[in-house]
Amino acid sequence: MTQRLADATGTSTIGGAERHVSRSLRALFLPVAVVGTLLALIPLQVGDSRVLMGVSVLGLAFACYAIGFNVIFGSTGQLFLCVGALAGIGGYGAAIFADTVGLPLVVSILLATLCSAFTGGLLSWVAVRRSLGVIFTGIITLIFSLVYESLLLGLGELTGGENGFLLKTGADSFLREQIPPYYVMLGLVLVFLVVHGLMRRSHVGWAFRALRDDEVAAELAGVDVARYRVYAALVGSAMLGMAGATYAFTEGRISPTTYGFAQVDVVALVMLAFGGIGALFGPILGAVTFTIIDELLVDLGQLRVLVYGALVITLFLWIPRGVIPTVRSMLQRRRRGSPEPADNP
Amino acid sequence: MTANILDGIVLGLQYGLLAAGLTLVYGLGGVLNLAYGQMAVVSAMVVAFAMEAGIPAVPAVILGLIGGGLFGLVLDSTLLRPVYRLQGEARVLLSLLLSLGVAFIVDGFLNWRFPLRALSLTITGGPVEVLGVPMRRGSMWASAIALVTFGGLFAFFRFTALGKAVRSVIEDEEGAKLVGIDPRRILRLILILSGVLAALVAVTQSMSRPVNVAAGFSITVFAIIVTVVGGLGSAPGAFLAGIILGIVSSIAASSIGTFLSLVILLVVAAVTILLRPAGLLGVRE
Repeated sequence: MTQRLADATGTSTIGGAERHVSRSLRALFLPVAVVGTLLALIPLQVGDSRVLMGVSVLGLAFACYAIGFNVIFGSTGQLFLCVGALAGIGGYGAAIFADTVGLPLVVSILLATLCSAFTGGLLSWVAVRRSLGVIFTGIITLIFSLVYESLLLGLGELTGGENGFLLKTGADSFLREQIPPYYVMLGLVLVFLVVHGLMRRSHVGWAFRALRDDEVAAELAGVDVARYRVYAALVGSAMLGMAGATYAFTEGRISPTTYGFAQVDVVALVMLAFGGIGALFGPILGAVTFTIIDELLVDLGQLRVLVYGALVITLFLWIPRGVIPTVRSMLQRRRRGSPEPADNP
Repeated sequence: MTANILDGIVLGLQYGLLAAGLTLVYGLGGVLNLAYGQMAVVSAMVVAFAMEAGIPAVPAVILGLIGGGLFGLVLDSTLLRPVYRLQGEARVLLSLLLSLGVAFIVDGFLNWRFPLRALSLTITGGPVEVLGVPMRRGSMWASAIALVTFGGLFAFFRFTALGKAVRSVIEDEEGAKLVGIDPRRILRLILILSGVLAALVAVTQSMSRPVNVAAGFSITVFAIIVTVVGGLGSAPGAFLAGIILGIVSSIAASSIGTFLSLVILLVVAAVTILLRPAGLLGVRE
């Protein structure tokens, strides 16, 4: 029993960020609008610089990836170590549909999104069917990432292999200009935030929280654990695919490293863990913070990786739950005026 | 066919050795060490620098093994302390994230300071005939080292009091405590052992191809896959899984080509995990 209790509280150190979700719509749309306005002002500051705009667009793409990952991992505790692979299916899928098959741009993005959603849903279905735990889900999806990467290189005629894929579709559209891609990506971020927020408020969200806090109790109370996990994976993977596809068109050239494991999965995990796993705005805080840090450290070259390592270690030792949940419980404690025993030791 | 199977066994012994150090730590402490590949790379660099300084190969390799062991000891006495305070999946997750940080630090430092450095041990002499198939001398040495290591591990767990203590902690930590075994000390010992095994991996791999500073990530990933297929915490499982995956990979490579052989290897691993989540020789919890 003690072991089980320790397990439950321990797991929520990582997975259980927000316990109180407001039901009112204003409580969802107001913060999203504030975040959207703040992010929309960034091009006024850095819009002249082609480099900085590129960095900002990439930062928003990462915010999208982190939101998708948050829907899957933060909400239902499925450690998907194939964020990059799912985004890559979106990116390469859209590129192939548009350039090789010759479909219109928007249709390609939607089809590629469906491909990602289907793949993610299938992975989740398998994991749920075999009732794999966090770590085993992680390992199966990691293996999927490796399969994806070797297929990408192996099917060189289709994907361009190491050299990458040069997208011809959309080359003369506004997606390749300096500022518009930023607002397209920002639109995706806000839509994803609203979708995630609405999911959390709906009965799906209550089911998510129930099964994250105590899977057995949730199941006993009639929550169909398996179905909700697969739902979350479908929605999250669709987000990853759509973001990957859109980013491909704004970039014009994609290569295996655009969606590589080290380049996407690791970064998205660190961003989300920094902001707060499960917190609605965790991905935004993480993506903005790490994009800025990355830009500040750009001169360090390889040493940047070292600094990241040190940051990751400090972060997880110091605030394992992430910034947003830690700050929130600090505020709550102050408001109540009395020291409250922390719910996570 | 004989040649393929022999090649597969040679490759498989390397896979098995790769997983041995990781599986023990995971099975024993519930710690998933993502810096395992970096342990191997650091040891490889120790050997490379020692040899550059004029130290003969064998003492240099011994220095490398000591380096790996020290790496394990340092990990155990610093970052893993807060990890051990947690239980279950939270412990695995924190260990995974912290060791990922260590992996970044090591990778970042080595790529910045010595980007082109690699260890390759050349074994002189022509091919050796085994069952009528000429095999490279380097891979014969590597296989011999792997076999001796597995023999040593087997004897250690089977016949020594300390080895039995380790097994008792893997099976039941509370029970081991009751009979007076301190799990923390056993864990420290196993982390040192894991570092030494990582160093051995680096040494044997460098006999057939150079181990460069960027090799850490792929070493870790393969070690994890073989570990899970073999069963967490089971050294014989790692051995068996390594051999099976090695033979699969070698046969696939010769009959359908190298690029698909990796895919087939990965698919076989995934299917095994799905069919037997506890691993080939793992204990179902």
